Amino acid sequence: MSDAILQAFQQVVLAPEIWAVILFSALYGVFVGSIPGLTATMAVALFVPVTFWLGPVPALAAIVTMVACAIFAGDIPTALLRIPGTPASAAYAEDAYYYTQRGEPERALGVSLLGSVAGGLFGAVGLMLLGHQLAELATFFSVAEYFWLYLLGLTSAVIVSRGSLLKGLLGMLIGLLLSTVGLSPVHTEARFTFGQPELFQGINFIPAMIGLFGLSEVLRNLVDLSGRGSARETSATESSAAETGGAVEAVADTAAEVATLAQRYLVRPVASVFSTAWQLLSTRLTHSLRSGVIGALVGMLPGAGADIAAWVSMGASKRFSDTPEAYGTNSLEGVSDAATANSSALASTWIPALVFGIPGDSITAIVIGVLLMKNLNPGPAIFEEQTVLVYSLYLAFIVANLVLLAVGLLAIKVGRYVVRVPRRILLPIIVLFCIVGSYALQTSYFDVGVMLGTGVLAFWLERREVPMGPVVLGLILGAPLEARLIQTLTAADGSLLAFFNRPIAGLLGAACILVWISTVALNLRSKQPDD
Amino acid sequence: MQTVTQVGRELTTFEGDPSRPPAGWHRGYRWAVSGAVMLVLSLLLVGCRGDASFPNRPITLICPWSAGGGSDRVARQIAAQLERELGVPVNVINATGGGGVTGHTRGAQARPDGYTLTLITAELTMLHWRGLTNITHEDFQPLTLVNRDNAALFVREEAPWSSLDDLEQAIREQPGELRASGTAFGGIWHLSLAGWLIEMGLSADAVTWVSLDGSAPSLQELMAGGVSLVACSVPEAQSLLEAGRIRSLGVMAPERLPGYSGIPTFSEQGVEWTSGTWRGLALPEGVPDERARVLSEAVQQVLSSDEYRSFLESAGFGPPDLPPDRFEAFLERQDRQNGAVLTSDAFAAVQSQQYGPWLFPSIVMGLLALTIAPLAWRGKLTVPADAQTLTRSGVGRVSLAVGAVAFYIVAAETLGYLLTMALLLVVLFWRYRAKWYVAGAVTLILVPLTYQLFAVYLRVPLPWGWLGW
Repeated sequence: MSDAILQAFQQVVLAPEIWAVILFSALYGVFVGSIPGLTATMAVALFVPVTFWLGPVPALAAIVTMVACAIFAGDIPTALLRIPGTPASAAYAEDAYYYTQRGEPERALGVSLLGSVAGGLFGAVGLMLLGHQLAELATFFSVAEYFWLYLLGLTSAVIVSRGSLLKGLLGMLIGLLLSTVGLSPVHTEARFTFGQPELFQGINFIPAMIGLFGLSEVLRNLVDLSGRGSARETSATESSAAETGGAVEAVADTAAEVATLAQRYLVRPVASVFSTAWQLLSTRLTHSLRSGVIGALVGMLPGAGADIAAWVSMGASKRFSDTPEAYGTNSLEGVSDAATANSSALASTWIPALVFGIPGDSITAIVIGVLLMKNLNPGPAIFEEQTVLVYSLYLAFIVANLVLLAVGLLAIKVGRYVVRVPRRILLPIIVLFCIVGSYALQTSYFDVGVMLGTGVLAFWLERREVPMGPVVLGLILGAPLEARLIQTLTAADGSLLAFFNRPIAGLLGAACILVWISTVALNLRSKQPDD
Repeated sequence: MQTVTQVGRELTTFEGDPSRPPAGWHRGYRWAVSGAVMLVLSLLLVGCRGDASFPNRPITLICPWSAGGGSDRVARQIAAQLERELGVPVNVINATGGGGVTGHTRGAQARPDGYTLTLITAELTMLHWRGLTNITHEDFQPLTLVNRDNAALFVREEAPWSSLDDLEQAIREQPGELRASGTAFGGIWHLSLAGWLIEMGLSADAVTWVSLDGSAPSLQELMAGGVSLVACSVPEAQSLLEAGRIRSLGVMAPERLPGYSGIPTFSEQGVEWTSGTWRGLALPEGVPDERARVLSEAVQQVLSSDEYRSFLESAGFGPPDLPPDRFEAFLERQDRQNGAVLTSDAFAAVQSQQYGPWLFPSIVMGLLALTIAPLAWRGKLTVPADAQTLTRSGVGRVSLAVGAVAFYIVAAETLGYLLTMALLLVVLFWRYRAKWYVAGAVTLILVPLTYQLFAVYLRVPLPWGWLGW
């Protein structure tokens, strides 16, 4: 075991090419995260074709780094323009922006940066502690347990997706239906192929993800190209952003002066960013710890990622605060806690992905695709057979967060230029990368078509408020869910008892059914007063 | 192209920005000129070649299996060596999925110009018998065998059978009682075993096949007692064999394998049955003889090199023990053998299962109907009122982006990567009203840069058109 740690250390910390990859992906992550309307998931989806030519360790290190950086960088436009750079920053947009209006954008950003780094490190520790434990438990699982686990994962994705429960369910079923295209996993029979040989391989996952998260973002941004901000935001935000454009300008000028000084005095800019942040963090250790735990727990739920972690942590933070009335307006505590939670969630979303092959969020859904592409099957065995890889992943999380500290500081200083990159230039470039990325994997025009189709589908569905998380989870869990269902039924000769007659399977099954019943009951009760 | 500009032109008329003069031909003219200059420049930057010798541009080697697996390693080894022989890049493309259908189909349907090779595998002679594809070995122009691994039967060290005869007796006494594995149901090792049973006048299901994913879990199951017989290649079982935990009752090869002379062949034990997995190289049907000959000679140089031999040995793959001119006959025989097994009644009976392939999609579709009905009934499937309004110019912009992707799919193979992408970017920038000099600079830098990144560094064969890449 210590041997593996040593090897991992050599592969990550002592390898110059990894540092090159990490540095590049950190800058790339900051860039994508800083631009309103572009998400961390999109950053990863567009990067996947390149990971194909990297070894597994650099590929995973790159993904870990770019996501950590993108989630933090999402706070930059949040603070400067009150437009969340990624959905994970939306929870504290008001609070962070308040300090920009007062001319202290670096105070809020410093708090969020330090919170992100602390949360990221906490999440990494959580991943290390829990991963192996759960993997050991998972070795006792047979087909029936996996069946229930996949079903629980899908259920969780539907429940945590914001908005209507039925629409979440609709999204999941669409994902499941898409997953049945091609050769069936158990019988190797062709389904929905219409005689097209390309369809035998099914909906290829990577182009589908590029479509769902890359092209669809472009299309959504194209709906209104005049505004500066993300299409996710309502027009109210945009008009207020325009009103305060002058204020931002003024702030930018002041900050520019600070930046000039920075080149002469290296200490001062760092202090200006971190003084408040450090004070806040050191006096509120228990709160930060709680936020880290909340982030890690939320991240582990399939379908719930950094954005939901931020909302939940914000809520909990408010409840425990002495000044709850400040939340949603100018609470630095809230910024700190939410930023800690969303970064902490990033690492723990990898836990179910690595142990069970159930992605914790849409980013780890892509990661599973990358692992499969490299012939690495997620599952408990990965902890035993690929020990070095797993340890390298842990190290990558730590390195990524340390790199984030430096790159994040840089990003705070230059962020105001990045958030202004005009979308009319950016969007065609992203279209190009969507095309070449989906084409490059198998040099297949069909894959470009899949990318186009899923992109348009996602755009169409999202305008109808159908969430994308359940779609992705359905797409990735459809095949294994079906395989486990058929295997259990075949082994038991059709007896439904087989799904319950092993202790863990019975427990998981009961939990699953309980969750369904209570969700439906709660949903019906809350509906009553409305209708 | 026509449609894209039309959409763009319509879009112009809907733009209702009073602060701007209406986009007239003046602006369009400037864009057209700068676009043309950009195209020419980006082509010059990359340069085109037009000499007639073969080969003069990168060759693609299609591997129907995923990166990191055995076939992929063989393909990449051959590609690396072939590249030195031919003097042009040889790029491996993993066209995976569909149990090999995808890659073999693409290889067979590729342009027969000698620039696309396929690493064909044993599945080529199996898939069409199961009705999964129409592609057979006859759609290919076979070049040569590059590797062969014969199947062998393994039992636990303490198993009661000492020879093939003993095993046959045991099977005859209690048909269906013994359990065997080695791969998934219908995989090559399953066919090897079933073929032997049929050859012996037994039914294909006289030994019950347990479907497991590959030889490693099967051998594990053998040690755990879940199965009593495993069929797989000798190198796959090497470590357990050397540890003395399992032994082999025979290998389905014409002669004893070099390096494993302790294992008797089936024919030594009086059974004329050979079977196993293999990999070969093939061209799509219709490649000019001259080109096929160039490739064939280069491939033979690779196969006879010490480097390739030592690669096979270290990776645990068997060498290709077949002269190239007998490869076609070999394919015929393999195809017939596999066909006999796969179309046998016993095999068909084993394959039909109670819980069929449409059970799961039916459940999903049923639930989908149950979900859509209440949503549609309450009118929840329309765009909500507080969503961003999609103006006509918005529709135009969105359709233009969709059209751009469609344009790539339709035109890239004819126009080539550089021309298609540059055109696409220029039109998008123009219609989205980017500043023309920024757009020009971005196009000029980005298109050759992505070409360099993907085609040169990452070695993706980008579309090849009129003017080269």
